[in-house]
Amino acid sequence: MAMGLIRLLSIAFTLVLLSILPLHLSLADEITSIESVPDLQKLMYVAVDGFPCVRLLNLSGEIGCSNPGINKVVAPIIKLKDVKDLVQPHTILVTADEMEDFFTRVSTDLSFASKIGGVLVESGSNFQQKLKGFSPDKRFPQAQFSPYENVEYKWNSAASSIMWRNYNFPVYLLSESGISAVHEILSKKKMKHGTYTSDVAEFNMVMETTKAGTHNSEACLQEGTCLPLGGYSVWSSLPPISVSSSNNRKPVVLTVASMDTASFFRDKSFGADSPISGLVALLGAVDALSRVDGISNLKKQLVFLVLTGETWGYLGSRRFLHELDLHSDAVAGLSNTSIETVLEIGSVGKGLSGGINTFFAHKTRVSSVTNMTLDALKIAQDSLASKNIKILSADTANPGIPPSSLMAFMRKNPQTSAVVLEDFDTNFVNKFYHSHLDDLCKKSHSLSFSSFRSKPHFALLIPFWCCIAANINSSSVVAAASVVARTLYILASDNKDTSNSALGSIHVNASFVEELLTCLLACEPGLSCNLVKDYISPTNTCPGNYAGVILGEPSSKPYLGYVGDVSRFLWNFLADKTSVQKGNTTSVCSKGVCSKTDEVCIKAESNKEGTCVVSTTRYVPAYSTRLKYNDGAWTILPQNSSDSMGMVDPVWTESNWDTLRVHVYTVQHSAYDNAVLVAGITVTTLAYIGILAAKSIITKALKQD
Amino acid sequence: MTVAAGIGYALVALGPSLSLFVSVISRKPFLILTVLSSTLLWLVSLIILSGLWRPFLPLKANVWWPYALLVLTSVCFQEGLRFLFWKVYKRLEDVLDSFADRISRPRLFLTDKLQIALAGGLGHGVAHAVFFCLSLLTPAFGPATFYVERCSKVPFFLISAIIALAFVTIHTFSMVIAFEGYAKGNKVDQVMVPVIHLAAGMLTLVNFASEGCVIGIPLLYLVASLTLVHCGKMVWQRLLESRNQSSASR
Repeated sequence: MAMGLIRLLSIAFTLVLLSILPLHLSLADEITSIESVPDLQKLMYVAVDGFPCVRLLNLSGEIGCSNPGINKVVAPIIKLKDVKDLVQPHTILVTADEMEDFFTRVSTDLSFASKIGGVLVESGSNFQQKLKGFSPDKRFPQAQFSPYENVEYKWNSAASSIMWRNYNFPVYLLSESGISAVHEILSKKKMKHGTYTSDVAEFNMVMETTKAGTHNSEACLQEGTCLPLGGYSVWSSLPPISVSSSNNRKPVVLTVASMDTASFFRDKSFGADSPISGLVALLGAVDALSRVDGISNLKKQLVFLVLTGETWGYLGSRRFLHELDLHSDAVAGLSNTSIETVLEIGSVGKGLSGGINTFFAHKTRVSSVTNMTLDALKIAQDSLASKNIKILSADTANPGIPPSSLMAFMRKNPQTSAVVLEDFDTNFVNKFYHSHLDDLCKKSHSLSFSSFRSKPHFALLIPFWCCIAANINSSSVVAAASVVARTLYILASDNKDTSNSALGSIHVNASFVEELLTCLLACEPGLSCNLVKDYISPTNTCPGNYAGVILGEPSSKPYLGYVGDVSRFLWNFLADKTSVQKGNTTSVCSKGVCSKTDEVCIKAESNKEGTCVVSTTRYVPAYSTRLKYNDGAWTILPQNSSDSMGMVDPVWTESNWDTLRVHVYTVQHSAYDNAVLVAGITVTTLAYIGILAAKSIITKALKQD
Repeated sequence: MTVAAGIGYALVALGPSLSLFVSVISRKPFLILTVLSSTLLWLVSLIILSGLWRPFLPLKANVWWPYALLVLTSVCFQEGLRFLFWKVYKRLEDVLDSFADRISRPRLFLTDKLQIALAGGLGHGVAHAVFFCLSLLTPAFGPATFYVERCSKVPFFLISAIIALAFVTIHTFSMVIAFEGYAKGNKVDQVMVPVIHLAAGMLTLVNFASEGCVIGIPLLYLVASLTLVHCGKMVWQRLLESRNQSSASR
């Protein structure tokens, strides 16, 4: 008997060994090694990378997206094209080309909207190529600030207005890695265990204003559950203004650009054409002019102003003009009366067409000053050797200037004579105005990089030939910078017969412009590029050109930890370019303080010890003129009829939040869970019965005598 | 997967052990002590094994022979430890018997000795289940479930519980076989226990193949039932022998 059993066992063992031997063939695919229970949890609850849409509030209500209550939202994932008669709320997977129709339907069809638990937006490059245009903004952005009456004019033809509506569910734009994570989970289900599991997405995007029940700016600022939008604008003068000699002030030629944009998704707004192309053109012009001799001998003073918060009610320009009225420290050296000409650089990234860069000059009103500016533009255009730049006046059939900071300048002072340079005439050529698709690079599949946010990477310049269908063209920006640099020189020298040699020496460094575009409009190299790291230590690599909230007390000498990366970079860069060296010695400054009053400390972040240079470069806080900061809290001032723009200002604030996270995982149906519990109980009971039976048999066997 | 499923998986792995504990072990305090000390001993043995293998981890994921080596060394270590365990038990048995003689009480019956072996085996089985299944079970109480690529029809936690149940059975009853084998000097029984343990360990390597668990787990249960059947037969034979002996000695 025992021998038979041994034989059986040895046969079984041999069989086992034989079955193991061919195993080496089937171990081909990779095993994700789980080394601990936390590893297992990370594999079970897959963290999805992406960009959220957040809750913004104004005086009358809310816009944007948020979890509807204080709990996480867990809803099974379904693709939009598979949606048919939903019973319970689902997570809808929407592609970029379906986005506009989807959100429009949500706002009109309430029964459809009630079945939406959450939305995941997939914006891969294959969908982007299908899109001809997508703009979540209005047809006439910020029309309430327009200085003319025709507010129905359609500046933005691709408009859908979806970013200005209130959604009662979370919306999340998936990054490249997020898209692959979601697709992987969905494909697993199809392959294997579809019937008793479902894939769900868990949204943890609870907004504090929802928790506290504060649903407009006034209530939430009082409760401290939100912060006002704003930031720090930067201005710099070339050459530096000596504040001490208040007389002999030269008239000022002010060049304006803005640095902030917006999109449906707060952290994915590059704003390549609108407005960063204008900002980069301004910086290229500053760089070119800084290398010109004899700038200090010109008849007029050049001042460069980069504003932020312009998307949210022209916060930057309104506050700047307000500070000028108050003659505050932030604008020391400038005054209302000294500003003679204003030239704004708007979107200039899409001027290239058929080998010619065409830009349009929109003027606020007909006056001698605007005519002078237009003449200067023409002379600059002609002086450029390549002859591939054309400056045209905007169509007189336009109702007025396009949406730009000059609208705020005009509302403040209808006599403002100013010109804004744009790459469009009667309506925007940028079909992706204020969308997450107004960026530099749509990568092709073969060049897809993995998520950049947290991985260290070396400074890799993406050459333009890698990008397919970028929304701007770098040569257009370089052309605009060249024209603006020469125009400013002509305006400042106030001499129409400027010799060609002087003008001819003003050259914009094209490689500098291209590098700056990849620093401000791409995640790789992003703000870790050498150009930016030379001046500051950036907190984020991916540039997000959304204005964000204003932190702490607004002041002209703010705590630098509260100032955004781009503002700090601009301040350091402009201070460096507009500086003059006094003598041959350069003194170092630690702790950002220089001994002489007209000196500022630049490059103090990256090198720990900065350099003192003579420069007039200042921060100007950008926030609504309806807000006042007092004792650590913001209060809304009552309407003041002298501040006409403040009367129509929505006073935008952004809700605070704890965390913004999305996970996807597989969930078993409750019937299956209960079946497992029943199985466990059954096994236990059967074992118990078996043991009792064995006990009674043994007892009986022992008792048999 | 929720609390219901978590409890279900725990019951699948350890329910029968719980039944055994409640119906047999809990009646005698000495058996409870035996189970506890046995569990502790075998848990420590697993910890020592993991400590010894730690420098070589993680093993290369796409070849199977390092894992076979791991199983082989662990089984050899544990079988050696089982022999030592038996030696300690033998000393204890002698102490108990001499104490019983001194206070004129009967010595340990056969059933007592079998029950002690069973308790020892149960301790071994519980240690295995705790170390290999329960320690991973915490995520099973949450909402999500997990499926492994190579065994994709059944959730990972369920497979883990099923395998743990098989090993609990194997360990519990092979301790009985082993103790009887060492006591009686029966070479078959002495060799069979390590062979079964090694076979069961190697069978788990079949799970490396894609959908290998469909073959591996039934084979594992075959080995477990063989152990159970052999133990039953052996116990029955011994009981009959002892009954015959006691009737013959009258």
